[in-house]
Amino acid sequence: MARTWTMQFLQYVTAILLIVLLSFHLAERIPWITGISYHESLKSERVADAYSSYGWVLLLLAYAALFHGLNGFRGMLHEWKPRHGRLWDLVFIILFLVFAGIATYTVVGLPPLP
Amino acid sequence: MAIADLKAATRIPPKLVTIRVKRWSPTKGKVEWREYQVETYRGMTVLEALLKVKAEKDHTLSMRYSCRMGVCGSCGMVINGVPRLACQTQIAEVASESNPVITIEPLYNHPVIRDLATDFNPFFGKHASVKPYLIRKDIEEREGPTGEYILKPEELENIYQFSLCISCGLCYSACPVAASDPEYLGPQALAQALRFIIDPRDEDPNTRIAVVDSEHGCHRCHYAATCSAVCPKAVDPAMAIQMLRSIVFRHRLGFWRKRTSKPAEKPKEWQPKKPMPPEAQTIPGVDLEQMEKEPVIVEVDGIKVEIDYKFYKIR
Amino acid sequence: MGLTDRVRQYRNLPGFLQASLNPWLIKARNNPERLAFVLHRVTGFTVLLYLFLHIIVTNTPARAGWEAWDSLMEAFGAALFNKVGEFIIAGFVIFHGMNGIRLLLTEFFGVCIGKPEKPKPPYIPPSFKACQRRLLYLVFALWPILWAIAGYIIFKG
Repeated sequence: MARTWTMQFLQYVTAILLIVLLSFHLAERIPWITGISYHESLKSERVADAYSSYGWVLLLLAYAALFHGLNGFRGMLHEWKPRHGRLWDLVFIILFLVFAGIATYTVVGLPPLP
Repeated sequence: MAIADLKAATRIPPKLVTIRVKRWSPTKGKVEWREYQVETYRGMTVLEALLKVKAEKDHTLSMRYSCRMGVCGSCGMVINGVPRLACQTQIAEVASESNPVITIEPLYNHPVIRDLATDFNPFFGKHASVKPYLIRKDIEEREGPTGEYILKPEELENIYQFSLCISCGLCYSACPVAASDPEYLGPQALAQALRFIIDPRDEDPNTRIAVVDSEHGCHRCHYAATCSAVCPKAVDPAMAIQMLRSIVFRHRLGFWRKRTSKPAEKPKEWQPKKPMPPEAQTIPGVDLEQMEKEPVIVEVDGIKVEIDYKFYKIR
Repeated sequence: MGLTDRVRQYRNLPGFLQASLNPWLIKARNNPERLAFVLHRVTGFTVLLYLFLHIIVTNTPARAGWEAWDSLMEAFGAALFNKVGEFIIAGFVIFHGMNGIRLLLTEFFGVCIGKPEKPKPPYIPPSFKACQRRLLYLVFALWPILWAIAGYIIFKG
């Protein structure tokens, strides 16, 4: 794994990113801000609009959240069984790549609205 | 825990307390709980109660203790679920008339040798790994110093609190990370690393930062702060680790540079006192010439003493 | 090899689950940080599991088209079980985020943790008197309020 301080530093940098991006992402669902109800905001027109106009923000949010969450999980695994350090780093890389791939496909491979 | 109840020693504890001890012996290899009834007196500590048990009831009860006054840090044990120094804990503080049972376990997170005696070898090994001593680049100067290293009072204030540590292992026993990760350096070692990293007399912070900035170093701390809550010597390791972590980040990003002090100048060699100059002042009313001619002799308890006139000379 | 290496020893470790799930493993007084640590870990782990699910579910339009997405959202909106799950996750995210801001200040920037001082009895650690403690109480106070607002939004639909 990269040097320990780099991972922890990125953990805090992604935390700062998440405060901003996740607040925005949650605000998308608050009816007093968007003007439509929570259930309405999940309809396909609204979601497709969000992906096409600021899909990169959502993708960045997904990467940051994945890194932050998986790195925290990696730390927990390191505490749980400290002998298997290499294995936990590998688990981190594999899970990150798989879910980052799915998230990328969600935004890149989006079909047009019917 | 720093003594929370300062007036506990003035209260009368319950007359008879039950001490439940978690015992483990290497020959049997299994844990068992034993109960002992102890008569108490005012001001009795848990260590005194245990020693009374050992003297009167069960000679095989093993524990480690030395100074009995909270200085050596040997008698750490988990008393009613809190790591404490047994010699600093009053019976009246942990037992009451309604609940006169005191549960005593060996320190968590340390390997147990027998009963309440724990193995501190791994713990001291972690302390040694952060190099808890002053390192100077000029080794010749360090081995044969010509003067003191300067430490200003305000710089002492920064490290004083961390230098109070007595290595009793209570913080390590309370730490939730050390509870599952035996390789974690622990609050004590990390606080000592900080104490020497910010000490201006030390010149080698890089080696310590390299030790501390590892997978089982300061980044494993999650600020549960129980270490500070149980510390008997007011060290506050939780604060130390957070300071250490921000120093590690700033050092790695190149924003942090250590301030070091130079050794003080070599003191001037001692010279014999010069004779009094002729213009030396005397106390008003003393005539030196007259005293030289007629020495003043005082009789004290039948012994005659001549007063030396030079005694009256002042600069 | 020390003397004690050859002697059988008893490993007195409470273990990962005890340390991560039980905030009262050590019954020390004046230590809400420990409760915050346990909650932070539990909420963080749960939210990570939700994140996996969220990434897979939001992939539905790309994988199966927009009709599948709309029918899935209809099904989610109808089931109370999902709403309760969403409500729990919302509360966990709110706590993790607010406590995370406090941890960023203390752990990353190294502020709000007080300054070393000459200890005087009755001793309270400087980091317990510093503003991180007030922030922590603020987090505990704001959490139920924000969680209730989130619940109102979710259950009103």
